[in-house]
Amino acid sequence: MSNLIIGASSGLGREIAYEFARNSKNLILISRNLKDLEILKSDLEIKFKIEVNVFQLDFSDLNEVSKFILDNTKVLEKIDGVLFPIGMMKENDNVKNSNDDLISIFSANFYSINFFISHILNIFEEKKDGFIVGFGSISGAIGREINVSYSSAKRALENYFESLIISNLKNHIKVQFYILGYIDTNLSFGKKLLLPKGSPVNLAKIVYKNLGKKGIKKFFPFWWIFIDMAIKILPFFITKKIIKFFN
Amino acid sequence: MTKKKIYSLDKNYSADIFFKRPDKYKEIEIESSKFDNIITMGSCNSYTPASFRKNALSIQLTKFNRIIEFDKNQKLITVEAGIMLSDLFNFTLARGLWVPQIPGYPTITIGGAIASNSHGKSCGFHGTIKKQIKRIKIFHKLHGWLNLSNEENRDIFDLTIGGLGLTGSIVEVQLRLEELSGNNFVTKIIKTDSSSDAVKKINFDVKKETYCYSWNRSDSFKNFGKGFVFQNELNVSSNNKLTKNIKLNNSDINKNFIINFWNKYSVFFAQSVYQNYFKFFKSKQYEESFQKAIFPFIGKEFYFKLFGKKGFLESQIIVPFDKTEIFIDEVETIFKKHDPLITLYSLKNFKGEQKNLRFENDGICFTFDFVKNSKNLFFMNKLDKICEKYHLTPSIIKDSRLKLETIEKCYKDFNRFKEEINKFDNKRIYKSTLTDKLMI
Repeated sequence: MSNLIIGASSGLGREIAYEFARNSKNLILISRNLKDLEILKSDLEIKFKIEVNVFQLDFSDLNEVSKFILDNTKVLEKIDGVLFPIGMMKENDNVKNSNDDLISIFSANFYSINFFISHILNIFEEKKDGFIVGFGSISGAIGREINVSYSSAKRALENYFESLIISNLKNHIKVQFYILGYIDTNLSFGKKLLLPKGSPVNLAKIVYKNLGKKGIKKFFPFWWIFIDMAIKILPFFITKKIIKFFN
Repeated sequence: MTKKKIYSLDKNYSADIFFKRPDKYKEIEIESSKFDNIITMGSCNSYTPASFRKNALSIQLTKFNRIIEFDKNQKLITVEAGIMLSDLFNFTLARGLWVPQIPGYPTITIGGAIASNSHGKSCGFHGTIKKQIKRIKIFHKLHGWLNLSNEENRDIFDLTIGGLGLTGSIVEVQLRLEELSGNNFVTKIIKTDSSSDAVKKINFDVKKETYCYSWNRSDSFKNFGKGFVFQNELNVSSNNKLTKNIKLNNSDINKNFIINFWNKYSVFFAQSVYQNYFKFFKSKQYEESFQKAIFPFIGKEFYFKLFGKKGFLESQIIVPFDKTEIFIDEVETIFKKHDPLITLYSLKNFKGEQKNLRFENDGICFTFDFVKNSKNLFFMNKLDKICEKYHLTPSIIKDSRLKLETIEKCYKDFNRFKEEINKFDNKRIYKSTLTDKLMI
């Protein structure tokens, strides 16, 4: 049996792969970058003596994801669980995005995940076991000027995972969702941020530790829960004024 | 893209730089395509400004830290160049293998060690890291991905080892590993009465695999050269596989205290305590862990911090065996006259052939650490003149103060190296503050 990690070649996905490997779990890794995946596979196999299979797949292309599912039914039937530490941002993602950009951003951050889970759920329901772990973003808490489609997709994903948790309360499928604040990955590297960054290594440990739990929705780093609450409690006309003040 | 202020370890140079830490191969290409001037950065532990330049992109490869291939029978390992020595050794030492020619701090990356042609304590026996390198893969903005070895792109391979990162980003490396018999060292301490005595005792048997270095007093002319020679020999009677991982101290080697604690009195005090500790409290022979013997600066990071915000200066000079006596005479003469404040004085054996800008030669390597002040700078200028006069080899990668004039006189290949680099990279994309100073 294996654990499937979508978006494993870098950032949080890579750290999750190492955490699973440290716990002697076999892995199936998926990413757009085959070269990075192959090197990660070598490192994991050499250091941890586990079995790693890799697939190149672009989640921003829904057709490609659909074809992958059809071509790899046997592989997917053997997985214990699936994690989606995936996220795609584009430069100049604003309120006037092109159709192509909208499709790719929404596919990578929402549609393909949703579509993939729909298929995996059938397998897990039949097995009466399995786990699904999703990762949202604090950027989905409120509308914004930049990364507009990305944050919208992440908000939709959060909603979808809430539905997924509720729909699987009475069976053995474990669903977890983590809403991420600033994480110390190459995307945030060198940036001056208002709050400290969370360690992806620590997050990977938390994710692994919580795999057996049902219906988790957590913030990481934890203090983002208070910011999220504040955003939700404050009337929008006040939030709007605060944003204007900081801009 | 945001800018960051970066300092060399000796604190003599700083610059506002653009900083990227890619974690995908494609990102190396993308980030490199955005800038006219680039330099690769490992852990940024270099004494000199070798991995940054004002307004240029420093591309840090610490996320490229994986093992790509390992062949135990052939004793070959292929790694990404951003792997830290501690991570590499935690893997190889458990299999009874290692690379002996490594610098004394484990957070240094293998790419950084190659770009500076590092040496270890056993360089009199093992030579420099050049000997262990079988193949290198670099990325160059103009030339793309290139495989370098003695069989493929041989000239660029030669320019890359000890080439200060001027041929592009070193991304992958294949290394020949050496067997390590034993998992700790037996250290013998031999008392020395002078610098000449230390040279004699350190140069005792270069055919034997001994990790030999000296510690000598430098607090006064009267005490100059007195101290000990430490001979670390592998304890073959111990288990031949290292079971304990190399543990890093959380202390940031790059962060110094605000003020400088080193002065004539504190140096005298520290050196007296150190000497008397080994003289009266330590036995003449004792067992030492691998970590302590090979990475002596773990846990002693405060030594650098004590120099304060102004930092320090280090001079490392290889003196051929037949010139050591005259060199010591000259150094003692200027020491007596100028009374510099030297916090560390040490010797070790060296073996190699000087080529390009590589710090290599047959002889004895003299190391001096200085507090940064005008008196010491004057003394160091006098040392430069001695180097020029006797054609000695001063280290470019350790001494950030070293002048172009001295380098030109001491490195016979300097102009040829410069021409070759200009020929390979005619737009001179890969540059650092250090190489600007060398006008390369």
